Amino acid sequence: MTTLTTDPPRNGLSPLERAYARLGVVLITPTILVFLLVIVYPLLAALYLSVFQIYTPTLQGGFVGADNYIELLTGKAFWSSLRVTIVWTVGTLTLQIVAGVGIALLLHQNIWFRSLARSLVLFPYFLSTVVAVLVWKWLFNDLYGALNQGLMQLGIIDMPLDWLGSMPNAMIGVILVGAWKYFPFVVIAVLARLQTIPENLYEAARIDGAGPIARFWDVTLPQLRSILTVIILLRAIWDFKEFDLLYLLTGGGPVTSTQTLSLLVYQEAFGLNQMGQAAAYSVGMMLVMLVFMVLYIRQTKEKA
Amino acid sequence: MKLVRPVLLNLITWSLVLLISFPLLWMIVTSLKPQTELFRIPPTWVPETVTFEHYWRLLSETPFLRYFRNSVVLASTTTVFVVGLGTLGAYSLVRFRYRGRETLAMLVLFTYLLPSVVLIIPLYLMMVSLGLSNTLFSLILAHTTFALPYALWLLRSFMEGIPVDLENAALVDGASRMGAFRDVIFPQLLPGIISTALFTFILSWNEYLYALVLVNSDAVSPLTTGVMSMLISAFNIEWSLLMAASVMMSLPLIVVFAFLQSYLTSGFGAGGVKG
Amino acid sequence: MANVIFKDVHKRFGSFVALEKLDLDIHDGEFVALLGPSGCGKSTTLRMLAGLEFPTSGEIRIGDRVINDLAPGKRDIAMVFQSYALYPHMTVGENIAYPLKKRGIKGKARAEAVQKAAELLQLEALLDRKPKQLSGGQQQRVALGRALVRDPQVFLLDEPLSNLDAKLRSYMRAELIELHARLGKTMVYVTHDQLEAMTMANRIAVMHGGRVQQFDTPDAIYNRPANRFVAGFIGTPPMNQIDGTAEGDHIVISGHRIPFNRADFVDSLADGPVVLGVRPEFVAIGSGDGLPATVRLAENTGHETIVTLELPDQTRISARVEAARKLDVGQKVALRFDPAAIHLFEASENGTRLNLDETPAAVIPMRAK
Repeated sequence: MTTLTTDPPRNGLSPLERAYARLGVVLITPTILVFLLVIVYPLLAALYLSVFQIYTPTLQGGFVGADNYIELLTGKAFWSSLRVTIVWTVGTLTLQIVAGVGIALLLHQNIWFRSLARSLVLFPYFLSTVVAVLVWKWLFNDLYGALNQGLMQLGIIDMPLDWLGSMPNAMIGVILVGAWKYFPFVVIAVLARLQTIPENLYEAARIDGAGPIARFWDVTLPQLRSILTVIILLRAIWDFKEFDLLYLLTGGGPVTSTQTLSLLVYQEAFGLNQMGQAAAYSVGMMLVMLVFMVLYIRQTKEKA
Repeated sequence: MKLVRPVLLNLITWSLVLLISFPLLWMIVTSLKPQTELFRIPPTWVPETVTFEHYWRLLSETPFLRYFRNSVVLASTTTVFVVGLGTLGAYSLVRFRYRGRETLAMLVLFTYLLPSVVLIIPLYLMMVSLGLSNTLFSLILAHTTFALPYALWLLRSFMEGIPVDLENAALVDGASRMGAFRDVIFPQLLPGIISTALFTFILSWNEYLYALVLVNSDAVSPLTTGVMSMLISAFNIEWSLLMAASVMMSLPLIVVFAFLQSYLTSGFGAGGVKG
Repeated sequence: MANVIFKDVHKRFGSFVALEKLDLDIHDGEFVALLGPSGCGKSTTLRMLAGLEFPTSGEIRIGDRVINDLAPGKRDIAMVFQSYALYPHMTVGENIAYPLKKRGIKGKARAEAVQKAAELLQLEALLDRKPKQLSGGQQQRVALGRALVRDPQVFLLDEPLSNLDAKLRSYMRAELIELHARLGKTMVYVTHDQLEAMTMANRIAVMHGGRVQQFDTPDAIYNRPANRFVAGFIGTPPMNQIDGTAEGDHIVISGHRIPFNRADFVDSLADGPVVLGVRPEFVAIGSGDGLPATVRLAENTGHETIVTLELPDQTRISARVEAARKLDVGQKVALRFDPAAIHLFEASENGTRLNLDETPAAVIPMRAK
């Protein structure tokens, strides 16, 4: 139905529209400049650095081509860290989701002092990782830690456990603390979604004879599916790149058994002073993450 | 039977809630115990004597107050900078039409997910060559890398919640675009701005990695690295003192939780977890 | 002079054509309704007049000013939005005062103008409230007050009544008609509700698919629809349209011959396929001689009955009969159409009407009682 022949001599935007577009560009320009300076430039620099060998203290070194990447592919460090990262991510994420959905379902019920309970549950998420780690280090303390003492009083163990200094306890420990710190994120998101599920869906299910468990599987869970996809993707990305918590709790130890990719990059750059190699590791890590990122961005785009 | 179920539900829920908050309660309990009571086996679950000596020592004998001041300066400056840029940027991304706008929005989302360790090495080199290492300014710039995408993303989502017709009405009533922004959009966005500012402040307040790499002078250390250094440097780890420091460090958070919690929850809705 | 002229206006969004060759000449002081289904381009037309959208080509004028490139605030217009778009953080008084504030009107002059508008709309008691504390009807009034406070040349109203309940809507319709009479200002009113358009407007522009189908008085739109779209859009139920064939001075439908007066129609009407249009009130249901049909549904609304009938070729048409008339579903009947009330259209999808406009159609009452 469009006939381009009737088109006007005046083509495109009106002066006012153009002025608006200009204003829009002016408003975003400071943001773009800061982005270029602190994100785009460093990102490109990381790619550039990854083909050099650089000694951190002196910042001297030379071009080595693909050597760093060959080391990444053929050496043990990257793959072992990738495995650790996956174990950590899957472990802590699973706990976060299970605990998060469970607690959200409980907090959605009409319990006493509900808002206080919610506040208490949310608090760890906003807590500084440094504080969380200090508290848990004290809890994990082998001699005087409340965890060992409590478990001994309850008769679950007879001897204090070495929580962070041996395997697999160290991995279990960080996974536990990670879950404790980050599951409130799942709680908030799921609670918000739960509140939007129409009550008449449950009534309909009840009329159809569904018990509480059937109602959860047939009504609640399908309604939560889309939000859970988003949460899992987002948390997977964030857990995958987590640095503070692992670095502060175990420093990657014992030896390298909890050294995730983030820690590997840091260790390579500032422990072993090999900046170029570290940059290559970080690029490798980003490529792995890109899969999740694309999935998440696609999911978000669908919503929009 | 009718009464048993809710009681049981409450019992289960509250035991779990208390279990989850036990580490925090233990932190407070420990910070109030005298040193001698700390190393009892079995531990005293409720302190026999309550003392504030650790808090006093923390403030008078350690550089805690200096770290605290650094953190306040760092987090506030980052917040003002990022929220200021982000508000204008979000207005532009949501309410203006120009080429590249969609791509830009996706780029923001991408950077929002980017791992810090990728940027840390080039940023470190950049700060060294600019002569900015060991300054709070370098940390402010570094915190922008995660805070700006985050704030933009949040504000963008808040901005989308404001009806377009409100702005249109202001335009018809005689306002310019920026006039409509000032008179109508900004007041409507204010809760979103507060929410974003709180999130940004907390993010910046809690950040550890950049502080670890970019700052190694005690004079400019923020709380995160400062308090950790107290753990490492002490010959004998003084857990009570560290727990007191932890409580003090969480003070801004406690204030936010007590008075502004609804802003935190609304920020969640906007922060990309819409399902 | 505040007439509004759209001259050869086109609007495209990317490759989507929202408006094509829009020509409208709205007179000073006239109340014009833009009527059509959603997506027909009526809102785009209004928003271009407001300066919220910009034409791809063509010219828009208010009085003797070309306003294409003027900012909305400089066009001397006021607009009432479907959502009312009241500023939530301002009181009612501040809302109404805002357009004056933006025009640099201060102090006493501003206060007096707000007072006057508030009186006109009975809002004096509400001036210190926030919009959230008002009912839908009150919010609607505030939106009107904000529009008329500064005495613009043209009022733009974008479905202003669609968020009100039925009772309040008919009350506000009367209010708006009265307001228009009192102010004597040009008003452009967008609606999808034909009742609003028919009862309020001096003239109606019926729009469809980005084009104005007909721009005329309510009477003409109803009695002399320009084409099949207008005929099928206006009226509840709308005009029946039946495929037939013209043969001399008869229309043949399913083998049945209906006579018509050839002199009432344009010369170009040739033998061949044609669409016969007849309003439900001119369909007489009887027995014996006539177009055979089967009763499918009879809906008694209290003061009349709307009958749905099926023709032999399965076309469904409706008829309006008195409420007392008893008709059974499945009953076979014979239909006769008032020859003076017959419209003929070209057989194409949106065929134009072929009646000569001097035909008695104009004297046909809008509702046969």
